[in-house]
Amino acid sequence: MKALELRDVRFKYKGSENWALDRVSLEVEKGEFVTVLGCNGSGKSTLCLLTNGLIPHAIQGDLQGSVEVFGKKVAERPVAEFATKVGIVFQEPESQLFCMSVEEEVAFGPENLAVPRDEIKERVEWALELVGMRGYNSRSPFSLSGGQKQRVAIAAALSMRPEMLVLDEPAYALDPVGRTGLYSVLRDLKEKHGMTVILAERDAEEAAAFSDRIVLMKDGKMLGSGPARPMLSDPDRLRNIGVRPPQVTEVASLLNARMRTSKFSFLTVEEAERGILESILTSRKGGKR
Amino acid sequence: MMGGFIDLYTEADTFLHRMDPRVKIVAVLFLSLLAFILTNLTLLLALLVLIFVLLFLARATITRTVFALKFVLRFMVLIVVLWPIFDPTGTPVLASLGPLKITEPAIWRGVTSAVRVGCLATVWYILMFTTSQRDLVRALVKIGVRFDFGLTLAISLRFLPTFGALIDSIKDAQRARGLELSKGGLLKRSRNYVAVLVPTIVSALRTADTLSLALQSRAYGARADRTYLRDLNMRSSDYATLAVLVALLVLPILAKFVMNVAI
Amino acid sequence: MIPSAHGIPQEEKIISTRNLKFTYEGGVQALHGLNLDIRHGDYVAIVGGNGSGKTTLAKTLNGLLKPTSGTVVVNGRPTSEQKVAALAKVVGYAFQNPDHQLFCSSVEDEVRFGPQNLGYSEQEVRQKVERAIEAMNLDKLRSVAPLSLRLGERRRVSIASVIAMDPQVLILDEPTTGLDSGESLELMDRLKRLNGEGKTIILITHDMKVVAEHARRVIVMANGRMILDSDCRGVFSDLAILGESSLEPPPVTKLAHRLAKHGISPDVVSAEELVVQLMKSGGGG
Repeated sequence: MKALELRDVRFKYKGSENWALDRVSLEVEKGEFVTVLGCNGSGKSTLCLLTNGLIPHAIQGDLQGSVEVFGKKVAERPVAEFATKVGIVFQEPESQLFCMSVEEEVAFGPENLAVPRDEIKERVEWALELVGMRGYNSRSPFSLSGGQKQRVAIAAALSMRPEMLVLDEPAYALDPVGRTGLYSVLRDLKEKHGMTVILAERDAEEAAAFSDRIVLMKDGKMLGSGPARPMLSDPDRLRNIGVRPPQVTEVASLLNARMRTSKFSFLTVEEAERGILESILTSRKGGKR
Repeated sequence: MMGGFIDLYTEADTFLHRMDPRVKIVAVLFLSLLAFILTNLTLLLALLVLIFVLLFLARATITRTVFALKFVLRFMVLIVVLWPIFDPTGTPVLASLGPLKITEPAIWRGVTSAVRVGCLATVWYILMFTTSQRDLVRALVKIGVRFDFGLTLAISLRFLPTFGALIDSIKDAQRARGLELSKGGLLKRSRNYVAVLVPTIVSALRTADTLSLALQSRAYGARADRTYLRDLNMRSSDYATLAVLVALLVLPILAKFVMNVAI
Repeated sequence: MIPSAHGIPQEEKIISTRNLKFTYEGGVQALHGLNLDIRHGDYVAIVGGNGSGKTTLAKTLNGLLKPTSGTVVVNGRPTSEQKVAALAKVVGYAFQNPDHQLFCSSVEDEVRFGPQNLGYSEQEVRQKVERAIEAMNLDKLRSVAPLSLRLGERRRVSIASVIAMDPQVLILDEPTTGLDSGESLELMDRLKRLNGEGKTIILITHDMKVVAEHARRVIVMANGRMILDSDCRGVFSDLAILGESSLEPPPVTKLAHRLAKHGISPDVVSAEELVVQLMKSGGGG
């Protein structure tokens, strides 16, 4: 059973002329970390809203094609039924935290599902631990930084023990420290807990490091899908969809062009350092300036 | 600034802080009712003293209380000053100017009303000071208010400081475009406020939108039953307090309405 | 030590702060005695993480916040003696969230709002509006309702509405957040053009890539203090300073630092620059 299966999906928001999603077919396996890259209007946010049934149940529009999440069709089951399968985190830290304390926020989901109190307590501690916010139980959301708020939002989604986590530009409003914190949480979720993750992003920089797969979207269409390395190796392809390519992949691409080769492929600063030392700088030990 | 007005809660470990919030709500209601039943100034002053004792027990400092109740204090002074002017009945008359008569009983009535207002304001202040918003809302729901309403109230309280900050930010943004909010007559000022109101409402609606999606994503309304992480439990001290409160209210009611004692 | 801008002739300075301190109402001190001189035509980026004080500093430069102590002098007069509306004629401030400013039913009305408030004659207002619309390429959108536009367009409208007041200084708070790469390039291009025409540009941002590509002068803030005031090269070669202000240098700069012992200069700010150096150092492969 796949985590997510979209077959020839089209969606138009009510009152809109354009297809927000135009013939998209996508499969996500359990345990995969997929980053969907695209800019405003690419359809990546719409895609996120499909994963737990918000589209078509909470958001009106014309949905065509088949969307199945863990084997169930989203159009046929209520949103609440997907709550235990899919956790979703939106881009605005402020508008998705509505309780008066961190603890209440994280407990809200399980409370709605009538989970017994002792278990709720456990889940709250577990979720806060996972996102590095242990001990913040009685803090109010107003007193948290943007990065902390987003981590609480993730914890609030995790406490329902979903099998898949979907995040729509979670780092949008965050400063560098917030971003780093958030991405390290996501990395942990993938590497230590094998969670299926769908991450919608406009910036390829962090995604490069640990995505299993990258999906490129533009104007509602899926332009490509594949492992991170080949998908990110062509900077022009990324610029074409309005996404800034990771700088190290730009370096690799330029080196390939200059040296008329295609051996360079860097996804991280470490890889780039190694690759450059091996191939370029060691050829002149004791270096000429 | 708005958050400070609504959230007067100060964490401390006092008898009043530990009291079950439902009992506190009952206490405030009963004491408020008592303040209206009593008409004898001496008894009302005694009630005020009792309330101040509670303030002391809650470890609320005088300075903080005075600051929080600034507006009320001014209102009280106003009552004392204006009452005799609008209530010319009774004797002896202390001063008169045409139809205006300042009588001694009227002054006392003014003072009585002012003390009553003081009792009410202070007792509600104690409630807010010793009870977190979270507990207040939970108490209301436990008493029988529907969870939906409780959640709506909680969300409103939660967003007050946020929207306060938002409005400040919008005001700043528009001031930076030359908007002067305190200039001009009533009409001009109202039109100026459109520049603040529209962005505020748009932001609020956007927030509400995302909020609604977040609520649904967390299975809100999925089931009719619901569990609670933290629950309220009455302890023996709470029951005892409740008993005292009932007595405190029932006795004066009996005295006044049944035995016709003038209190 | 901070290489400061002392020694600039008085006439060239458009904004000066002396021992600027600011404390918020709740008691939090956000600025600890800053001395800063901004010259006509500067292109400055003020960078720092959340809580570094960069936004607070920016708001003192146009009078939204008045110094708790110390002075901010704009065009020769302290801001404490001027109203925000009067300062708006000299220092324009485009907020990070354009939705905090937009409220009119058409882009043109929106852009008019500022100059109208400043009391210019109808003819002057029209001139300024036209120039602003042209500068931000909004001609085709002039009768559209701003709130129905995409984020990139809304941001252009918000910036146009500030430009229309014809200020000498333009402060922009995180102008590239949320824009796609094309929109971002276009916006920064327009700002470059404006700078070329003599406008002083002050960017408040934590996006070091944008800073690297555009700012000529970078002021790094941390904990309410200026910890570095230098040109781009100076800032990027100092990783320690960047770390102190919770900022990340662009990946290519991090890479250059790691390769520094092999002769690569660590103040590289773009992929092209690095590759050029690599080709010279050891290339030919």
